[in-house]
Amino acid sequence: MNILLCCAAGMSTSLLVTKMEKSAQEQSTEYKIWAVPGDSVRNHIDQADVLLLGPQVRYLLPQFKKLGEEKGVPVDVINPVHYGTCNGEQVLKFAVQLVSK
Amino acid sequence: MSKFNSMLESKVMPIAGKMAGQRHLQALRDGIVLTMPLIIIGSVFLILSNLPIPGYNDFMAGIFGKEWATKMAYPVGATFDIMALLACFGIAYRLAEKYGVDALSAGAISLAAFLLATPYKVSFLPSGAKEAILVDGGIPTALMGSKGLFVAMIVAILSTEIYRWFIQKDIVIKMPDGVPPAVGKSFAALIPGFTVIAFIWILRLLVEQTHFGSLHNIVGELLGKPLGVLGGSLGGTLVAELVIMLMWSCGLHGANIVGGIMAPIWYGAMDENRIAFANHEALPNIFTQQFFDIWINIGGSGATLALVVAMILKARSQQMKQLGKLGIGPALFNINEPIIFGLPMVMNPMMLIPFIITPLVTVVATYIAMSTGLVAKPAGIAVPWTMPPIISGYLATGGKLSGAVMQAINIGISVCIYYPFFRMWDKQKFAEENGTQPTVEEVPSDTQKDIV
Repeated sequence: MNILLCCAAGMSTSLLVTKMEKSAQEQSTEYKIWAVPGDSVRNHIDQADVLLLGPQVRYLLPQFKKLGEEKGVPVDVINPVHYGTCNGEQVLKFAVQLVSK
Repeated sequence: MSKFNSMLESKVMPIAGKMAGQRHLQALRDGIVLTMPLIIIGSVFLILSNLPIPGYNDFMAGIFGKEWATKMAYPVGATFDIMALLACFGIAYRLAEKYGVDALSAGAISLAAFLLATPYKVSFLPSGAKEAILVDGGIPTALMGSKGLFVAMIVAILSTEIYRWFIQKDIVIKMPDGVPPAVGKSFAALIPGFTVIAFIWILRLLVEQTHFGSLHNIVGELLGKPLGVLGGSLGGTLVAELVIMLMWSCGLHGANIVGGIMAPIWYGAMDENRIAFANHEALPNIFTQQFFDIWINIGGSGATLALVVAMILKARSQQMKQLGKLGIGPALFNINEPIIFGLPMVMNPMMLIPFIITPLVTVVATYIAMSTGLVAKPAGIAVPWTMPPIISGYLATGGKLSGAVMQAINIGISVCIYYPFFRMWDKQKFAEENGTQPTVEEVPSDTQKDIV
């Protein structure tokens, strides 16, 4: 499963990526998780199964939701508390949940 | 939700949403970002050609010859001096992308339109002559840099709007099936491209009849000057900073949103300083992009490095200790989302008070220190915003210790403002953890909904 994260510069989300990968290693499923700045989502969304936004760029949600509908990729905002505490496990769960919906 | 929170939510969110969702502002910001990597690379050469080490100049001249500084300036020019050119392409590209039309063609057309708006006259001082003469047939690098930024922005938006109008109305030359799509695309750009070029051409012919002489002069007079006053004054800067912090208070990336409006002004001011610095003249501006990146946002927006340090040294509650450990790494590189969403700062009436006040106080303090000459002004060197403090202040001033000292002072100011609020918050958390007080829900309930 391919999980794409995005925030303003792709900096703080990349912190989360490390934590999510750690949590993913404990499961047997293959995960590819990566983070990009908001303006390059378009170049990455084709490889993604799900797109998660950092809460600080949640104003991008309407725009990316539309894009996600075109590409058949679910899009949503990461829970701020999980984001702030870098809770990789919960965010990973959230991503899996979105895809399986 | 408290009154303060609902006020924030109801007043700031709609404005933030509108500003952030406005596609032209988005395109401006994202387009100008294209210039950043190059500007930072240029800055490295700018620092190297002005290292404040005694004997450095003679040492370099001994190895590379007397002209070494001039040669060192080649990459500086090639990066800073094409700022407007790159921004013009980038803005048109990003805007076209948002409209879902061919971005590459839109970028190319607006690049040509921008050059068309620029008179190819370069002032040249022949050796021995006293006054410079105007020479035809060169592209003036001055207008390709920050001085041309506003014209580049306007032309990029104008030309892309015309371009997408034609494409969306389907007024294009269509190729029959079997023609490669790449060829088809270039033909599709013909009619809109021709219209754009003709439009700018007529505009230029008209402007040349007036006393302004060129589009660059008009835009500079009518737009650049008033905006420059706004962005260059203490009052205007405080307002901009307040708006940024109010947006962050709702958990929105304020700097990114406001950047669409302020970036051209602050980058323009940066470049003016760069030119003065390279010529060893007095630096004209205090408020440049680096003023905020280096002296105000220490540890991230809201100067939260001080808060994280307080957490590590003084926290009693487990939650604050943990968060401090998690947050210190990113905070040293000016990333503070863990603190903003983890503490949380967002919609937290107690912590929002120092969060908003601290940057406003440090703006004033830094402004006073720089305008009185106690501290060196930013030298137009673009240090990456992720550079840790103290080092970044030293580099951004072109190697002045006062720049680093000012950062330390600002951290001190932040500690003083944050500390009492941090103590109260920590005490409350500590009480919760030890069961002496019923748990207070620290997150607005509506943000929790989407986990379950």
